Amino acid sequence: MFYRVFITLITIIFVSCNGCVDSGKNPIEESLNTKDSQTPVVGTEEMGDVIDNIGSPVEWANMIKQNGVQFSKKYLAPTDNIDDLNTQFRQALALGILGADLGYLNMYSRTSSILQYISSIKELSDELKIGQFFDFETLKRLSTNNENLDSLTYISVSSFNKMDKYLRERNRGNVSALIVSGLWLEGIYLATQVTKEIPNAKISERIGEQKIVLGLLVLILNNYSKDPVFKEFSDYFNKIYEELKKVDITYKVGEPKSIVKNGIMTIEQTEESIVKITPEQLKSITIIVEQTRNKLVNAK
Amino acid sequence: MSRIFFLLLIPFLVLSTKALAQCNDQLVNDCALNGGDNVTYIKDFKAKLAKGKRGSPAPTAQFSMLLNKGSHYRFGICSAVEYEGKGVLQLYDAERMYGSTYDFTTGKESPYFDFLCKKTAVYQIFIYFQDGLEGCAAGIVFMVR
Repeated sequence: MFYRVFITLITIIFVSCNGCVDSGKNPIEESLNTKDSQTPVVGTEEMGDVIDNIGSPVEWANMIKQNGVQFSKKYLAPTDNIDDLNTQFRQALALGILGADLGYLNMYSRTSSILQYISSIKELSDELKIGQFFDFETLKRLSTNNENLDSLTYISVSSFNKMDKYLRERNRGNVSALIVSGLWLEGIYLATQVTKEIPNAKISERIGEQKIVLGLLVLILNNYSKDPVFKEFSDYFNKIYEELKKVDITYKVGEPKSIVKNGIMTIEQTEESIVKITPEQLKSITIIVEQTRNKLVNAK
Repeated sequence: MSRIFFLLLIPFLVLSTKALAQCNDQLVNDCALNGGDNVTYIKDFKAKLAKGKRGSPAPTAQFSMLLNKGSHYRFGICSAVEYEGKGVLQLYDAERMYGSTYDFTTGKESPYFDFLCKKTAVYQIFIYFQDGLEGCAAGIVFMVR
């Protein structure tokens, strides 16, 4: 009985403290710290659905690896400027960027570098008051001992999913949108950097398909564009979208095929999206993604 | 002999893990770490649904997810042991159902199905419980490496 009362009290204190804000921060910071700074034009439920769909930190990395591309640390964002990120806006964005890099490191089993990234992610998530979803100690143990890489990836990815869910449930979808934007931007940055050095049709096609994905993301970002900081930020993404919109995507219809493969029912889609991306379009996308990402990574 | 016995036991051990955990984060953890070899967890969807009304469609939870062309996904479901309902996960796009962990026509259940995606789009994931029973389940999406 006492235990239940104790847990209930703790929960009430915790939930009510979600609305607490530090004094001395500007209004934008305050709103970002607590809840959505304005009522979104798109409904919260639809927003949640859309945001749920974007920015898996391991899918890009897996695709890059599957196409035989060697690991390179030069693509990764630095972690040494984390302490300089003095706004929650920058912290949320950096959290997404480093989350994508962590996915890349996980996919290539680079456990020696992972610790540095999970430490920075822990610091950022604590600043954003979502550190409770990032199981730093377990991740540290798994990466230090180089053990159970599947668990390491699972805990990393599920931590981000939990943070995202929590933020949206607490009407802090704006912070969630920034994290997802960081994840997406770093993912396409990795892919464009790889194709710049090693041209690859499949990766180029995936880059072109980001026309669909970014279309969803700008829909979310534009919802917050009354906020001047968000407006500047969404303008960057709209500029990338302008380039991606030039990519031609057509669809071929077809009926799915089912086969049992290794004892598992496997459905192969034959309906297909066909992406036509020219070398010039790819180059323009690469340039604008690189400029945007570097500007945001180096901004304080 | 003992080796054969062990080999025969494996499918039962694997299948039984689909209904061992209770309706909490442990259910997701157990399910997410039992997707087979060479898979990476991407996302989970939890559904806890009340018993449906007689003559009405089974209560259903709906989620959406962006799937990418060229990716090989695995969809799985695990049901919480303390509820009677056995969870079913289905994958749809705007036009058709692509896969289900339960075959209506044969009554066959399978903990997973794979999907070779060739069209980047937002897909719908539905979770319901057989016969509209009360239940709790975790749907997991893996990427097959």
